[in-house]
Amino acid sequence: MSEAVTLPEPMPLEFKPADYKTDLKPVWCAGCGDFGVLTGLYRALTEMQVKPWETVVVSGIGCSSRLPGYVDTYGVNSLHGRALPLAAGVKVARPDLTVIAVGGDGDGIAIGGNHFMHAARRNLDVTYLIMDNEIYGLTKGQAAPTTPAGDKTKSTHYGNPEPSVDPCEFAISFGATWVGRAFSGDLKGTVELMVSALSHKGFAFLNIMSPCVTWRGDDQFKALKAKQRRIPEGHDASSRAAALAYTRETEFVTTGILYAVSQPTLLDRLATVKKSALAGKPQSTVADIIKSFQPSF
Amino acid sequence: MPKREITIAMVGAGGDGIVTMGDVLSQAAARDGLNVLKTEAYGPQIRGGESSCVVRISADPIYESGDGADVLVVFSWADFSRFKGECTPAKNAVVLSDDADPVARTREDLGLSADAVFLKLPFGKLSTESGAKGSKNLVGMGVLTALFGLPVDTLRRAVVSRFGRKKAAVGEGALKAFEAGLLLGQSLPQMPERRLGFTPGPAKLIMSGNEATAIGALHAGCRYFAGYPITPSTEILMFLDEWLPKMGGSLVQTEDELSAIGAVLGASFAGEKAMTATSGPGLSLMTEMLGLASMAELPCVVVNVQRGGPSTGLPTKSEQSDLFQAVYAGHGDMPRVVLACSDVEDSFHTTVDAFNIAEEYQIPVIVLSDQLVAGRRETFDPASLVHEVRERRLPSAGDLADYKRYRETADGVSPIARPGVKGGIYQTNGLEHDESGSPGSGYDLHEEMNAKRYRKLGPIRDAYTFHRRYGPPHADVGIVCWGSSKGAVREAVRRANERGEKVAAFVPQMIYPFPKKEFEAFLESVEQVLVVELSYSAQFYKYLRSFLDFPKGRTRVYKRSGGKNLTVAEVDAEIVALLASGRATEKVSA
Repeated sequence: MSEAVTLPEPMPLEFKPADYKTDLKPVWCAGCGDFGVLTGLYRALTEMQVKPWETVVVSGIGCSSRLPGYVDTYGVNSLHGRALPLAAGVKVARPDLTVIAVGGDGDGIAIGGNHFMHAARRNLDVTYLIMDNEIYGLTKGQAAPTTPAGDKTKSTHYGNPEPSVDPCEFAISFGATWVGRAFSGDLKGTVELMVSALSHKGFAFLNIMSPCVTWRGDDQFKALKAKQRRIPEGHDASSRAAALAYTRETEFVTTGILYAVSQPTLLDRLATVKKSALAGKPQSTVADIIKSFQPSF
Repeated sequence: MPKREITIAMVGAGGDGIVTMGDVLSQAAARDGLNVLKTEAYGPQIRGGESSCVVRISADPIYESGDGADVLVVFSWADFSRFKGECTPAKNAVVLSDDADPVARTREDLGLSADAVFLKLPFGKLSTESGAKGSKNLVGMGVLTALFGLPVDTLRRAVVSRFGRKKAAVGEGALKAFEAGLLLGQSLPQMPERRLGFTPGPAKLIMSGNEATAIGALHAGCRYFAGYPITPSTEILMFLDEWLPKMGGSLVQTEDELSAIGAVLGASFAGEKAMTATSGPGLSLMTEMLGLASMAELPCVVVNVQRGGPSTGLPTKSEQSDLFQAVYAGHGDMPRVVLACSDVEDSFHTTVDAFNIAEEYQIPVIVLSDQLVAGRRETFDPASLVHEVRERRLPSAGDLADYKRYRETADGVSPIARPGVKGGIYQTNGLEHDESGSPGSGYDLHEEMNAKRYRKLGPIRDAYTFHRRYGPPHADVGIVCWGSSKGAVREAVRRANERGEKVAAFVPQMIYPFPKKEFEAFLESVEQVLVVELSYSAQFYKYLRSFLDFPKGRTRVYKRSGGKNLTVAEVDAEIVALLASGRATEKVSA
């Protein structure tokens, strides 16, 4: 038996980029790489047509962590390094919401490094965007864990004595199930990668190279532009080893999806826990619990 | 004439089953409607090792562990020395020990008086003969039941219920050991004046303070918990790990305390009632995030189960020295609410109040519990677990038409939108912000918003101030204490009143905002004031001094480190000294 099926008319886009924009004027310096990320995020959200009121953007502290104030969704600009714990709380309590954590490399890799590791390990169902400028911008130019060894900054006058890290390498090692690298100077590529990250089920980490014109000058932008290359066709993103080959690069800044696999997420696992706890029985009440403390032998 | 109550202390080596013994005795007494208060203490081993337990059973209400044990059971004298502080026998106690213990102790060693009874009994031998492995504790329970009039049939059922849960044969074996002890006890010289006399009543609830806290949270509607294990609060995490999923809630064991409180704030932002539990070192780590909760006006509840400090301190022992941290810690002017729970049942009510305040007023609430309240097990009436639950103020349709998250209101409370609500979108901030949530760093704005956040404290104090007062309305000595000190103080007041002395006590549940009116009324109703607390530097007294003028020359402070629970005898000695001198002398040095 067949039923008459009416195909819906193609819907006009409900949300345009401007619908994701607040009235607040960004505090960022002219030419800051974070502008590219913000514009990219407006476009990615538009492409995804996510409902602004069902989206939460959470950040830590830093130049880039001001971003939630510029996005007209629910948002929290929290504490230095703590975007991911808050994002975890939002998502676990309300799986129906789209949760995006954002921040800088100092915020996520230095002070918040422990949370990065564990959010990735748990395969927490959030998208995490780092705006990586290899410097502390808000505090005016000190070295970050991502600052290349030897670089002179306001806190490394004689050259950075420490080796730097590649956030993508961390993410892959920690167990993130989607890892990508973007360059904020490449808007089209950044939007594509954001859409892919937002579409991923599980912990998606996108490191967006976002040059700081104020503390690293024009050189950083130029170097990134010169070194950027799209990840070669045929890259096996399901292979951890293949993905790691595109980390700690010196000759290139490879953008694209480095790693993408499908694994049970934290919410999947918590749903399993609930199922096991209930064991087919109806939900418990407080009265049930209290009764279990009254000896009845 | 039979006694109305009995306190039994027991000590043993690892494997002697001391914890189980205390548990079964408590469960049986609770089953018959008796009042029970049980405390435990352990050696430093991670698993097994020596342990001790004190069970006080009474036909009348009881508030603490008692001064000295009426009965002391020792399976291993070598381990007894570790628990001298916890398991002190009364001068005239009955002391029962194993006749095969290689370490010998005499009644003189224990400083017992002539009317004490000191017996060496074949606990180990009867245990082996009964066929039930490692059943000294069951033999011991049999002896205790026979000698002290414990409810024998209830204990039989308790033993079977405890040991026969998985295999009926194990239950039968355990019962055999119990019966062997019973026969042994019946063969000994009887002491009718030491027997417990009571009429069985309906079963009481028996649980720990940590369990009552967790149940309070669930009752209040908490469906999200994030936490990091830390003694002596971990039981709350473990309890909720079992029950939250059965109630449709979620629990995440986080990587550290920073993450725990961060996740709690995230869940709260998302619209759920959320809580974490910790102890002193964890609260230190959470402090920065509590500032965010205060600034962003996010409801949250943090239960802090105090232990001895500073630093790692005494992780398994009680102290009341996190008061300053709870009330003052944090940078900036940071309104918060601090409540204290004073016994097991009160842990339930205080936790529900904490949620009610947090949700209704959008403010972080710290509940100060401590190891003594959290770790002990106490009985109470099941009907007492009733408490009104309140919800956060959501925006009306009118509010949403022009929604401002931090809109100025008379009581400082602005409707809080739940993500998912179309007109309620806002971005919040640890930065100072205006009514809409947008950052701003002007003086006028900061002053205005500080005033808004602090304005909430008045209504909270007016609506939620709750205190307990014991003793006559006018008294010669008025004791002021907080938290778990209530137990010993209340009992001391009762005894003093029975002696005809006019002694009263005042115990606040709300520590901050400070219930000044209530305190002042109490101080006016008493001649001399005695402040009692377990804090070396007298934090409570100093805190009170910042709000109150204590009567000069009529105030005395009894304070000491934690690590040993406050006893009735200590409080009693202070009362006696005050009444004798008729004049108190203030003495606080730290």
